Amino acid sequence: MSLRLHGVRVPLARFSLEIDAIFDRPIAGIFGPSGAGKTSLLDVIAGLRRPVTGTMQLDDTVLFDPSARLDLPPRLRRIGYVPQDLALFPHLNVRANLLYGYRRSTPENELITLGHVAEVMEIAPLLERSVTTLSGGEQQRVALARAILSTPLLLLLDEPMSNLDSRLKQRLIPFLLRIRDEFHIPLIYVTHDAAELTALCDEVIMLESGRLTERGSPADVLP
Amino acid sequence: MTAEAWKIVFFTIEVSALSTLLILPIGIAVAWLIARRDWPGKAVVETVAMLPLFVPPVATGLLLLMFFGRRGPLGSVLQRGLGIEIVFTWRAVVLACAVMSFPLLVRTAQSAFQEVNTRFEDVARTLGANEWRVFGTISLPLAMRGIVAGAVLAFARAMGEFGATAVVAGMIPRKTMTISLSIYQNVQLGRDSAALPLLFVSVVIVFITVLCGQIISMCKHPR
Amino acid sequence: MKTRIFSLLFSVLIAASSSAAELTVHAAASLTDALKEIGAAYEKESRDKVQFNFGASSMLARQIEEGAPADLFFSADEAKMDALEKKNLLLPGTRRSLLSNLLVIVVPADASSAPKSAADLAKPEFKKIALAEPATVPVGIYAREYLQKLGLWDAVKEKIVPTENVRGTLAAVESGNVDTGIVYKTDSLISQKIKIAVEISAAEGPNISYPVAVLKASKQPERATKFAEYLAGPKARSIFAKFGFIVTR
Repeated sequence: MSLRLHGVRVPLARFSLEIDAIFDRPIAGIFGPSGAGKTSLLDVIAGLRRPVTGTMQLDDTVLFDPSARLDLPPRLRRIGYVPQDLALFPHLNVRANLLYGYRRSTPENELITLGHVAEVMEIAPLLERSVTTLSGGEQQRVALARAILSTPLLLLLDEPMSNLDSRLKQRLIPFLLRIRDEFHIPLIYVTHDAAELTALCDEVIMLESGRLTERGSPADVLP
Repeated sequence: MTAEAWKIVFFTIEVSALSTLLILPIGIAVAWLIARRDWPGKAVVETVAMLPLFVPPVATGLLLLMFFGRRGPLGSVLQRGLGIEIVFTWRAVVLACAVMSFPLLVRTAQSAFQEVNTRFEDVARTLGANEWRVFGTISLPLAMRGIVAGAVLAFARAMGEFGATAVVAGMIPRKTMTISLSIYQNVQLGRDSAALPLLFVSVVIVFITVLCGQIISMCKHPR
Repeated sequence: MKTRIFSLLFSVLIAASSSAAELTVHAAASLTDALKEIGAAYEKESRDKVQFNFGASSMLARQIEEGAPADLFFSADEAKMDALEKKNLLLPGTRRSLLSNLLVIVVPADASSAPKSAADLAKPEFKKIALAEPATVPVGIYAREYLQKLGLWDAVKEKIVPTENVRGTLAAVESGNVDTGIVYKTDSLISQKIKIAVEISAAEGPNISYPVAVLKASKQPERATKFAEYLAGPKARSIFAKFGFIVTR
């Protein structure tokens, strides 16, 4: 998988996001303080927000290219997104949430079925429950499973652990690794918590005031 | 209450229900467009949709008479093409009620759509839903409570409609006589005592309707 | 010097007391155009101003009963005047019947078909018939009683579109939103947008009578009586006749 962003510029409140980067590792982390533009960057990659200039390409598919008048809508990008507040659909139960974006698994990824994903994420007993009755950790796993079941080529995670205490954080890390190992879906993981990145990422990129500054292994980059 | 008076009550309920059903699809569509989209001329459309709330009802009735009368642009087409007459028939009552209650429905439904967190809609898009599916499976169900409240308000307004109806439908006994028109006519003819039972029934009906609407909109949606 | 000032003051007072008064006349809607012209003529001759309130005689009578300030009432039927007289609201000795009128059936000027007699009103091609409220407004009552006499009322009453007064009927026919309507002949003469289909002769038709009276509650009974007499006088009668009213002796 390779995601390429060239000259992507997005005006934000106090500065502009200006990104030139290639993401090609299984788990890439983006580290930055709040307000650095992390969520906006994910929005742009997912197609929920349009840059003023630049080009974006995922493998062989051009996602955004103003000169060719190309702006692929989110539903065609095959990029999964778990936002910070999870956005589980409150009017649907767990099963209906999980199956909302379900695409039959591809030959490369025949493991992505409701049964298997529910098993791996340990949410099988919760299927008939209402999402509002779930605990914080359960909701996280359901949100992740929902995104997985849409067989994305890339999965974006916005501060997935921000609502969890340290014990639950520890419990969630193995599930994220399973996404990489069982389902082979590359992740871009955004957070302001260095410990999470150290535990998970192959590579970390610093985002400061809209610009990607450093890049390297967690040990090199993180303070 | 005489049998004639009960017929008037049922007629009024029928035309009010019919007019509310008629404006629901257009009202929901307009409300969604105002809540979720921007386009040139949007402010004009919003203003026009709200006009019947502020323009004197008899003026609105006069406008309807001019458009839908036998010689009017719409009325003549309907009459010559389909043989349908609007003014001075029950259809004019439905028309007047529809126009006068439209802004209430739009305003309430618009708020309801605006209260739906756009994150839900965004995530649905990343899960592969096209705009129609997002509307039907996410926006509409989550806004449903507000929309129903709006429909109830529209119904109550239609029950009490007088000025526009008097102009475009007239006060024809057994054909266009609504509760309000009948009360007015009885007062005009000095038959105040005949007006009182109708007055009581109409207040009771509208009280129950508005109360239901309040209850519906005050139940908090589990989130 | 003192007497000069005094006589000056005195003449100013005299002038003030005999200054122009304003009379309020409640009159049937069918009298609108004729009375406006008569009122203008009267203002030139006396110095009194005349203010008219036109409407359905039934509505006007109700307003007078409820205490609306007026000096004279000019009704399109005797019944409304009788009702006020019974309630002792008229100044005795001032009531007189002045005019009569004829009923006509009218259609829009560009109508392709028209009734040839009152009986034609029952035909299905005439779906909507405008008529001032047949229960209370004089022209509506006259028309209804006439149609009842001919045995046509039951066939016709479902097609009636009630209007507030005779001018409302005229407007409805002019707009083309109804097929036909019944108004006074004098109203039909005012409008270019309608044409007379059937004229109901005085012999066949109802007995139409317009009485006028000074109201007891009038604050200027002498001036009001003066105007009432003017209405019966030659100048006013010629204006009424010009507009098509039948002036009774």
